[in-house]
Parts: sequence; C-alpha cells; structure tokens
Amino acid sequence: MPPRSSPTKTQSIYAPRPCRLLSVTDLTPQEKLFRLQLNDGSDLGHRPGQFVQVSVPGLTEAPISVASSPDRHGFFDLGIRRAGRLTTALHALQPGAQLGVRGPFGRPFQLETLTGKDLLLIAGGCGLAPLRSLLQYCEDHRNRFGVLHLLYGARSPADLMFKEDLHDWQKGACFNCRVTVDHSPADGCYDGATGLVTGLLDDLDLVPGRTVAVLVGPPPMYRPLLDALEHKGIAKESIMLSLERMMRCGIGKCGHCSIEHLLCCQDGPVFWLPEIEHLRGAL
Amino acid sequence: MLKRLDRSDLEKLLSALATGYRLLTPQRLADGTRLLRPHGEGALALQGEPVQRKPTEAFFPQHDPLLRIGEQGEVTTCDPPVRPVALFGLNAADLGCIAFIDRFFADPPADDHYLARRKDALLVGLTGFSGPGGDVLPPANGMCDLELLAFGQNWLGVPWTPRGEALLEGFPDGEQAEVEELLESARTRGNPAQDLLEKAAGLVASEVVPDDFWREVGDRCILCSGCNLACPTCTCFCVEDRQEQAVTLRSRVWDSCQFDAFMREASGHNPLGTEALRTRRRIHHKLAADVTRWGEFGCLLCGRCDRVCPTGIGIQAVAAEILARFGP
Repeated sequence: MPPRSSPTKTQSIYAPRPCRLLSVTDLTPQEKLFRLQLNDGSDLGHRPGQFVQVSVPGLTEAPISVASSPDRHGFFDLGIRRAGRLTTALHALQPGAQLGVRGPFGRPFQLETLTGKDLLLIAGGCGLAPLRSLLQYCEDHRNRFGVLHLLYGARSPADLMFKEDLHDWQKGACFNCRVTVDHSPADGCYDGATGLVTGLLDDLDLVPGRTVAVLVGPPPMYRPLLDALEHKGIAKESIMLSLERMMRCGIGKCGHCSIEHLLCCQDGPVFWLPEIEHLRGAL
Repeated sequence: MLKRLDRSDLEKLLSALATGYRLLTPQRLADGTRLLRPHGEGALALQGEPVQRKPTEAFFPQHDPLLRIGEQGEVTTCDPPVRPVALFGLNAADLGCIAFIDRFFADPPADDHYLARRKDALLVGLTGFSGPGGDVLPPANGMCDLELLAFGQNWLGVPWTPRGEALLEGFPDGEQAEVEELLESARTRGNPAQDLLEKAAGLVASEVVPDDFWREVGDRCILCSGCNLACPTCTCFCVEDRQEQAVTLRSRVWDSCQFDAFMREASGHNPLGTEALRTRRRIHHKLAADVTRWGEFGCLLCGRCDRVCPTGIGIQAVAAEILARFGP
C-alpha cells in the first residue's frame, strides 16, 4: 500500500501567533505607535531591523517593521502609517484588542559589524520606526559603539515621528541628534532646521574609516543621500540600507518583494549597498 | 529492475495506483484538449502534446486554503487531502518543473503547506514514443518515482524510487536493449529550443537588451496574465481572506507579475511601475535571476506561455526576438 497523508501536527509557518494590543499612541496625524504583547507572554525574539506580518482577519496581512529593541522585554512596538484598508483597521483598534503576528522575519542590521564603529544613523519619514529598534539597542548598549550620529528628516513638523524620543535623543548624551523638516509652516511654532535630510550632513564631522552609515527611508531619499555620503568619503562597503517592499508572505515564497535574484523579505530588508546598487529597481 | 508492460499490464498498474492514490491521468476532451483528469472519467490519451494545464497545480493550486481563523483568533491549518495524488503521464519538462518548485518551496524557511501536499504524492513519467503522433520524448532522468518508456505496443518500466519499484513488482522483466534505439534517438536529437534559450539568456543577463525593447514587448502585452498562470514554475501568490460568519478562511491565490499592483506598496511606491519593467522582470526572472539564485533556468521549455499568449510574447518567442535583434 502506498503511504497516506497524515494531518500536519506542527504549527504552520503561515499561522499567526496571537497577541494583545497593550497601548496605542498617536505619533503624527497619519501614524500611531502600537505596543503589543504575545499572548503566551514570550518575547517576540526579533533583532533590530526585522519585521513581522501583522494579521487582521478579513484583511489578510501587512509587513510592519519592529520599532523597539529586543532588549526591552515584555512587549514589542510597531509604528504604523495609515495607508490602506488593513492599517486603517489597525488605527481604529483600542487597547485590549487581539491581533495576530507572524515572524520576526528578514535579515536584521548586522550588529556584530556595527560594534566598535561610529554610526551615522539616517532616517527619513516613517523610516524612523524601523531604525528606532536599532537606536534603542544603541542606547541600551552604549559602550559597544563609538560616536553615534542620528539624522532625521520629515516633511513637516507635524510629520515628525516619535517626538518625545527625538526630544530625549536631542537632549541626551547618547546621540548627536539632528532633525530637519522639508517645509516649515508659517505659524512660527517650529524653530528647528529646515531642508532635506542630506543638508544635515554638510557640516557633520565624520571619520570615514571608522564610520558605518545606516539608512532607512522612503525610496526617493536614497539616491541623493548616497551621493552626499560619497562626497563625505564614506565607502560603499560601509553603507547599510533597509528597503521597503510589499511582502505578502515574509518567507521568500510569494515573489512580491523580489529584486532581481534577491528576495527582500529573506535576503533583506537590510542590505549592504554593494549587494544591491547594481540591481535594477533596487534603489 | 526493469519491467516490460503490455496494455493489460498498464491497466493493472493504473488500477493499483487508483486504489491508493487520487490518480490523475492524461485524457483528451471532445474539443481535442489533452488534460490530466481523475482516472476513469475519460479515455486515456497516452500520446500527444503536453497536457494543457500545468501539473504543478496539483501541489500549488490556483486557490489554496491555508488556514481558518476563528472568532477568538484561534487558528486551524488546512491539511492536505487524505488521499495523496498520483500524477500519471508527465513528460520530462513537466517533471523538471515539479522538481524546480519542489526545491523552491523546500528552501528554508520551508513552506510546510506545500510540502504536506507534496510529500506522499507519486509521479509517473511517460516518455519514449509518447509525443504528438508517437514522436519520441526525452527521458525523465530520475525526476519521478516511476518512468514508463513507450515503445511499440509496450512500455519499459523504470523505477526511480522504492515506491516506484514496489509498484512494478510482479510484472515481467524487461531489457534496456529493447529501448536502446529509442534512447539513442532521444540523445542525438538535439534541442534547438534549449540552445535558443541559453543564447537569449546570456544576452539578457549581460544587460545588452535595451529598455526600448522591453517597452516595445510590454506594449504588446494585453495584461491577460496567461503566461504566469500557465507557467508551471511560476509560484507568485497573493493572500486572500474570505469571511463566513465569524470564521475567516485565509488562502493563497496565484498572482501575476504582469499586473501593475503586483509590487505596488501602500505608500504608492511601485518598483515595477511600467509595462516595460514588468515585461523585463518576467523574462529576466526566468532566464537570469533564477540562474543566479538557483543555478538553473526558471523555464523548462514546456511551451505553455507561448501557446497561451494571444499576442505572441511567450518566453520562447521573446527569446527568439532577442537573439535575432541583439545576438551576434
């Protein structure tokens, strides 16, 4: 007799893990911070730079970067922009709501490579959310790194994410933190820098040989920023980027996040520049 | 252990397979279409062109329920059918396609859903004089459990796995010498389509094909997505939720990289935002990206995309055009 199929006993790689929404905080008019806890109380087990697939029954899943350090236990944060049906539904949730997550997935920031280096951490727009996991890690392990520069740009003062964190990072000793907005309103309520994030590099004192640049932002940010970094003498081999793609599965099967032969959800989302700069459509 | 099967032996083999498996065999419909269908629903068509639909759909169906999510968030996975499937009558190209996606889905992290469906399935290759009009087909080279090489009114049974060996037990012994002429004919035949594909792939990989060409081919595409849906190595899918009362059925559904929304993100960013980029992606993926990632072409020359494409831009047609315009 030929063998018979037997029902799968192990949990499927497509099965979300149940989690509970602990709190929701407004970040900007479009973005909220969701603090979640797995129902079984365990840590998510992620590393900075990884993402999860957030499951909403009826609306499928969306890939969201983890915005908190793995060393802050008992919860994990997701900074989510309201952009489609699923994220709109998430924005309507109240603390106590049940959700599902799969993951963590993807290649994280390579902390072992960053250790002992000066870090030039640059975020644009909601790119600060994934970078925040690394920023918190740096705060928690400050003595592992050299000088830490943090440059952040948003469209307007209202679009600045994590305003309280930015305030602390600007006032504290951990980061040399600079913030800018593309456009400042005429109401006079904003007294910070204006201009593109690339402008924050102009007078920044860097030691190229011991600096690693970490870039997380919207796709249009990368080309001008890479030109500016080249001008500052940062080698391509010392530039790490996190790319945004539409991941449907998170495990390298659905094909939606492919960049030529690479799969952003498995081979990335964090890449070294030389790995992707020659690939069509990567940047 | 080679076996020689005549027509009555073949019927016995099929009966044995139908006992333990959900057996699909090649049959011809009244309109001439050759398809894999449940055994016994129609007359066997043991010779002919490749079956119309891709056989990989037995393991990666167009609509593939993954799991159910209950009212309280409890998750129940959708298990494969209790009776594993046996696919009878596959040619070497289709067996190669199944091997290709087997490796793809097994690559870590493994797709347990695919593997559960695939692990007990049985593949029977049908080669030898089984092509259109009794033309000779290339051998299966071990990509199945059991291969039947057609010659004259008989078949030489070649087991490639212990399961294939068990199925052939009891049949009269055969000799390779009986099919030596056949194998020699298959060996010396050459494969002009493979030569064409390899030369075109070299041009695509070396980026000598200009964007204008991809724009031109893209302009001819009518976005029917038939190339992707017919392709046995296309594995892209989107995810769909259907709600019935309080229960959500989450499934994966075949998707097409030729659609504008394939890569479009909620932010509006679309890495494949033009027809030209999407057309290049379809061809480049099979002829260059898959070679870099997996070490082999993602096209096994089954011919389905060329047969299904209403505007003549299937992969072999495009490869021929690339070679004619940009080749040496």
